Amino acid sequence: MNEILVRKKWVPYLWLLPSIILMSVFVVFPIMIVFKLAFSEISRAGVVGGFIGFDNFVAAFNDKAFGTVMLNTLVWVVSVVGLSTLFGFIVAMALNTEFFGRKVARSIVVFPWATSLVIQASVWNYIIKYEYGNLNNVLLNLGILKNAVNWRLTYQIEFAWECGVGIFVTIPFVTFCVLSGLQSIDAAYYEAATVDGAGFWKKLRHITLPLVRPSLTVSTVLNIIYVFNSFPIVYTITKGAPANKTDTMVTLLYMRAFYDQQKGPATAMSVIGFVILCIAAGAYMMLSMRKEDEL
Amino acid sequence: MKKLSPDRQASSLRNGRILILVSLLLIVLLFCLPLFETTTAVYTKKSPNTFVGDEKYQTVKAEVEAAVADYREFGDVELGESVTLRDKSDGTQSSMVTFTASTRSHLNGWKLVLSGLPSGTVLSLLFIFAVLAAGLSFIPRKGAQACAVAFGILALILVPAFSMTFTRFFTRTIGTVLSGARQADITGELALADKLLYGGQGGDRISALLSGMSFSSTPWLWLLLIPAFGLICGTVMVQNIELSSALSRGFLYAFVIALCVLILYPYYVMFITAVRTPAETNDMHFLHMLPVNWMWGNFGDIVRRNVLTYLGNSLLLSIGATVISLLCGIPAAYAMARMKFRGRRAFLGFVIMSQMFSPVVLLVGISRLMIGLKLNDSVLGLMLINAAFNQAFAIWLLRGTFVSISSEMEQAACIDGCSVVGALIRVLLPMAAPGIVTTLIFVFINSWNEYTISTVLISTPARKPITVGITQFSSFNMIEWHYLFASALLATIPVVILFMFIEKHLVSGLTSGGVKG
Repeated sequence: MNEILVRKKWVPYLWLLPSIILMSVFVVFPIMIVFKLAFSEISRAGVVGGFIGFDNFVAAFNDKAFGTVMLNTLVWVVSVVGLSTLFGFIVAMALNTEFFGRKVARSIVVFPWATSLVIQASVWNYIIKYEYGNLNNVLLNLGILKNAVNWRLTYQIEFAWECGVGIFVTIPFVTFCVLSGLQSIDAAYYEAATVDGAGFWKKLRHITLPLVRPSLTVSTVLNIIYVFNSFPIVYTITKGAPANKTDTMVTLLYMRAFYDQQKGPATAMSVIGFVILCIAAGAYMMLSMRKEDEL
Repeated sequence: MKKLSPDRQASSLRNGRILILVSLLLIVLLFCLPLFETTTAVYTKKSPNTFVGDEKYQTVKAEVEAAVADYREFGDVELGESVTLRDKSDGTQSSMVTFTASTRSHLNGWKLVLSGLPSGTVLSLLFIFAVLAAGLSFIPRKGAQACAVAFGILALILVPAFSMTFTRFFTRTIGTVLSGARQADITGELALADKLLYGGQGGDRISALLSGMSFSSTPWLWLLLIPAFGLICGTVMVQNIELSSALSRGFLYAFVIALCVLILYPYYVMFITAVRTPAETNDMHFLHMLPVNWMWGNFGDIVRRNVLTYLGNSLLLSIGATVISLLCGIPAAYAMARMKFRGRRAFLGFVIMSQMFSPVVLLVGISRLMIGLKLNDSVLGLMLINAAFNQAFAIWLLRGTFVSISSEMEQAACIDGCSVVGALIRVLLPMAAPGIVTTLIFVFINSWNEYTISTVLISTPARKPITVGITQFSSFNMIEWHYLFASALLATIPVVILFMFIEKHLVSGLTSGGVKG
């Protein structure tokens, strides 16, 4: 009903052509290159040799950092996605109520989303320095601390900080996804529930949560992908030190490919990461397409 | 906030007034109790080869008692002793007795109010606010009663503020100078501390005394929070407002304010560090929340270190990526929204899938491809990559916008002899302007903030975008924080402002395009 008539069958494809060319060359082609390289012999100088089967994958699995890094990646994705979804939801609930200064608060919440990750990460890297970091300075000034605290005593704590920064920068995205879901809920539901004597928790459980679930699902799946791919936070704050103990998969991949000149194992890791992403993406596509059918 | 029914108003008013008066009384009482306790070690003597009760022990103890008699003027002196036993190699034991003497002082609220310390001022303000809150709530006017609530909240906030100013005075203002970490003239402060803790008897010994002083807050101090909170509840109740809804409002504001403070904190750090001197940024004992010397010249220095070139590259790269992305995206989105053809669903699926492929995982492939195309180390290459990886989101947002606009106008235009392209440009695009602007800014910001691809592809300094350019200030062993953050600030401000413009449209864009499919 909302469509215009096109006489010739090939016309729509012409409209899609520029977009298809752009994406084929710069998205699909690199994928193919990565797959080809993953099964080829690559010398340290980067010269591509013949087909060597799964040797690169074996080398990647035998990388002494691989186990730690996979575990880190799991902790990183689960903690950042889980906690930012929880906090983002709470923030969205708060910003969805009418109060004085709501517009200002909403504009402020957007800030971390609009800021480059490498800049956010640099600032937090400075904040938590032991010797002269701003967190110690502020807390000492406020009289909360009596002595400076080493906020990055062990690498586990440093990794926790990295997760914290990840959560901090991810909250706005979740907040705005949930907010768009919340705003589409008809106020009449709440009024009816209030008449029936439902309290805050009952309304949350039986009205809000079911109705924002689609937005939450989408933001969660997208976040899994964004967070999995997030590179600058870990790279800026610890660079994976000490000895790859705080690396995630993408930072390890980067290090192996461009610092250690181990392009073979690195491309194998790319393929592994790519497969993981495809599973997440497939789940997301099924969810989106199902909704498309419902419309 | 809900008003109470008339029959409950009278009792609410009465209970509120009782609560206010009781809270005020409680504050007065708590001010009489010690809010802080200090202990000063005035004398220590180690007596080796001494066993408890032997001759040497007696003589040394007498010595110690004579020595500390001097300090009795300060108040009670507590004597303590500890014994250290050690086995010697020949099987006998050695023993050492350590004698200590310390004085204790209890600082109650009124004493602190009169002390002239900064924390005393805070405490008097707390009391004045409490009295004001109580007094104003008895004036039957809306404005006065609202002010009463505000003063109640201020009084509550001043309880932790008091504790902080007290701690800050002794550990930072005085402590850092005594330990030699900072040079400043603190004669006035020392005299105040002397008067408060030792009745002005400290004299020349004051520095030594304060070095051996430790203090702690008592539970009474934190009990002050209860009457302060009672005061707030009372001032709400006398206005005939339901207490629970007023409190949930209060928590909402507290939450939002805390959130905004947390979010703005890194930007505050970025700003103040950008205008500091290098000495200040690397000083562990640096005391001030704001720079002492405002180094606006830092911005001039970074301009001399090519930051404008980087910003220019970023601008060029982002504009290029945005234009390419929209030029390819608008026709595709239009076809998806308005035309029926085979493979539409497949293309939609492809678009959704490609949204998932971050360039980071494909880094090796991308760098090979760009070398093959001779586009590595060029801004044009970055433009194309950014445009391609933002294509999915652009099509998604634009399609959502186009679908939400009825096609009647275009059909009318087509009947009037306009071509499809003409209808798109003259009719649809103006109507879809908000959605297009949102997409445009979104792609612009994503390209502006992109970092990983640029680090890999660009090696010539003069072609680096700002996100990569700022890393020149952090070399392996030294980071020039002030320059780093000055350039980061220049890179951040424009995009944050742009983002604030699209924030509203982005929510509806996500709803109509990305999220709802």
